[in-house]
Amino acid sequence: MRVKHRHLLDLRNWSREDIESVLHLAKEFEKKLNHEREKASCLRKAIIVNLFLEPSTRTRVSFELAGKMMGATVINWSNSSSSMVKGESLKDTVWTLEAMGVDAIVIRSRTIGTAAYLAKKLKRASVINAGDGAHAHPTQTLLDIYTLWKRLGSLAGKKVLILGDILHSRVARSNIIGFKKMGAKIIVSAPKTLLPLDLSPLGVQYEPDPLKAVKSADIIYVLRIQRERIKSSLIPSLREYNLRFGCARELLTEASSKTVVMHPGPINRGVEIDSEVSDSSRSIILEQVKSGISIRMAILYLLLKAREG
Amino acid sequence: MLILKSVSLFDGDQLLEGTFDILIEKSKIKAIVPEGNKIDIKGARSIELKGTLACPGFIDIHAHLREPGEEWREDIESGSLAGARGGFTTIVAMPNTSPPLDRPELIRHIARKGREVRGAKVLPSGAISKNREGKELAELFGMAKEGAVLFTEDGSPTSNTELLRNALLYTKDLNLKIMEHPEDPYLSNGGQINEGKISALSGLKGIPRSSELIGVERCIALAEELRSPIHITHVSTKESISAIRSAKERGIPITCDTTPHHLSLEESEIIKSDFNPVYKVKPPLRTLEDIEALWEAISDGIIDAIATDHAPYHPDEKDLPFEEAPFGIASLECAVAVVLNEWHNRKQKISIERILRLFTSGPSRILPERYRELGKLKEGGIANITVLDLEKIKKVNASSWVSKCRLTPWDGITLKGWPILTIVEGEVFQIDI
Ligand SMILES: [Zn+2]
Repeated sequence: MRVKHRHLLDLRNWSREDIESVLHLAKEFEKKLNHEREKASCLRKAIIVNLFLEPSTRTRVSFELAGKMMGATVINWSNSSSSMVKGESLKDTVWTLEAMGVDAIVIRSRTIGTAAYLAKKLKRASVINAGDGAHAHPTQTLLDIYTLWKRLGSLAGKKVLILGDILHSRVARSNIIGFKKMGAKIIVSAPKTLLPLDLSPLGVQYEPDPLKAVKSADIIYVLRIQRERIKSSLIPSLREYNLRFGCARELLTEASSKTVVMHPGPINRGVEIDSEVSDSSRSIILEQVKSGISIRMAILYLLLKAREG
Repeated sequence: MLILKSVSLFDGDQLLEGTFDILIEKSKIKAIVPEGNKIDIKGARSIELKGTLACPGFIDIHAHLREPGEEWREDIESGSLAGARGGFTTIVAMPNTSPPLDRPELIRHIARKGREVRGAKVLPSGAISKNREGKELAELFGMAKEGAVLFTEDGSPTSNTELLRNALLYTKDLNLKIMEHPEDPYLSNGGQINEGKISALSGLKGIPRSSELIGVERCIALAEELRSPIHITHVSTKESISAIRSAKERGIPITCDTTPHHLSLEESEIIKSDFNPVYKVKPPLRTLEDIEALWEAISDGIIDAIATDHAPYHPDEKDLPFEEAPFGIASLECAVAVVLNEWHNRKQKISIERILRLFTSGPSRILPERYRELGKLKEGGIANITVLDLEKIKKVNASSWVSKCRLTPWDGITLKGWPILTIVEGEVFQIDI
């Protein structure tokens, strides 16, 4: 299994075949994790830096575990409070990392284009985008696809309802691209203030009423809502949001009994999702978390070890 | 004495029949002689220009030269030289410097330097409010007396509409224009690019198109109410064009300009380039439809001038991820070529005269009355001349620029139609024949 890419910045240029390579490889890694709990040694010479300019414990730990399970040296560089937040010293960091002989950089940033910027500067190392602002979060998408692939076999013809703040969500943007590549259809439902003015570039269907949208959905993908959206006058209150767009029992009663619920985490209980739903048998949120490790192992392996040429 | 030989001629308004020899003595055009009556003066330097086109020296009414205060980005001298290399003989320097040009003494200083520079002559513009804070009117009479050619808060819109209205009233008798940067700062707050397809795809915060339109409509409302002329700079959307078109049809005294980048670059470049900040400008790059609306407006005479909005930064200041990079690009040295290159694709529909007016007589009419002559090429006039080779094909090589800023979207791009010679007050500045 090979891919032609050096970096994983977003999924725009990744073909369906590329994605399938990742899925199959992840499955191999997962088997190993499940049965032997044994560390592999395939990346034992590799140095990987987790450069987290915006805090995110989950994603960082997931990458850290993935690297370590393959024997790599993993360094966490997560000083989000220092001057590193600004791009000014990002440049110096790049030269430092390059000089230390780093093979891969996993980068999380508030700023759109940071991963692309690093990729342009680095001469040798691979860059993996672990989330840049509202733009992209490709490993989240891959782990979501993987979770669904394991459960449903294929995404072709499936309907995914993405519920919530599409406008500010890197997960939504990446998932729309990734899910569509795998043959799924996307419906979005959200207050208009949390959607791009023109949805047509995203190639999704819009349904203002989640209760209607959910009827045909095989998957409900719930997005996190930030409290800041109230301050910027995009929504009036979390309570009102929960009443109209929260993923609650009433919503699920409109859906087919097979419909599953996903969320990229961490969840706001009682805001975008009710505990009753997130802890129910419909929810595959914890499976997503678990998938994250094998997917990230697969990505690291493909970019560092199995890259063509 | 200098003779330009066998050159075609655009007089600021139209192309003349035939070719000419132009005799320049000191800073003046001594004679323009039609083909057949060639001038030959012993000892005079002559330049053979067959196949090229002499125009009045080009005027850029909107460039940021960063002096005083940010001379590492550009200064009056480097901007003047860069301008001359790009085909300009007159440049209006914007007042959003640090400190801003908001006092007569500062205007006097820039005006003096701007006269003494070797390249394009630099004319100062003054801020509308003290310290560009939008609170109190700056000393507009005093600045006008020291040589300010227009007033503007550019860099941002005039924040207080009442102050803008008062400035229009206060300067009405000065015959000197207010130039307004049309934007609603609440709507554009935090915005990075045009709101639309690319903002939806990339997640970059969109600047609503209404932000510019509201700025334009504000100018129209004030100009109509006060019958006071106002110039709207760097217009970029089809909605702005349509508002300006109907206002002009109603006889409201407004003028407008647009920029080479808004006439040639689409917003999609931002994603195509993986978020290269050389595509980050304000107003943002728009869509193909907007570009077509701007060209249509040029063809209909709705647009009065093309201005570069040359906005230089030090490479380190702009070498950042897209969201953190400042707005602005450098273009003085290729702006004319960019426009001519785009015109080549549209010359079935738009005459070259239309384009040339936007760099000559058009902008000269936005400047105070005494500069009207700058837009004309005629015997007895000042020898400010831009010579173009419309067929010349050349690649933009920003590393050879004399501007301090080389951050330009056109680096490495091949363009057709270049200025080859700039003469400023009789001095041959640049030869690239
Ligand atoms: Zn401006």
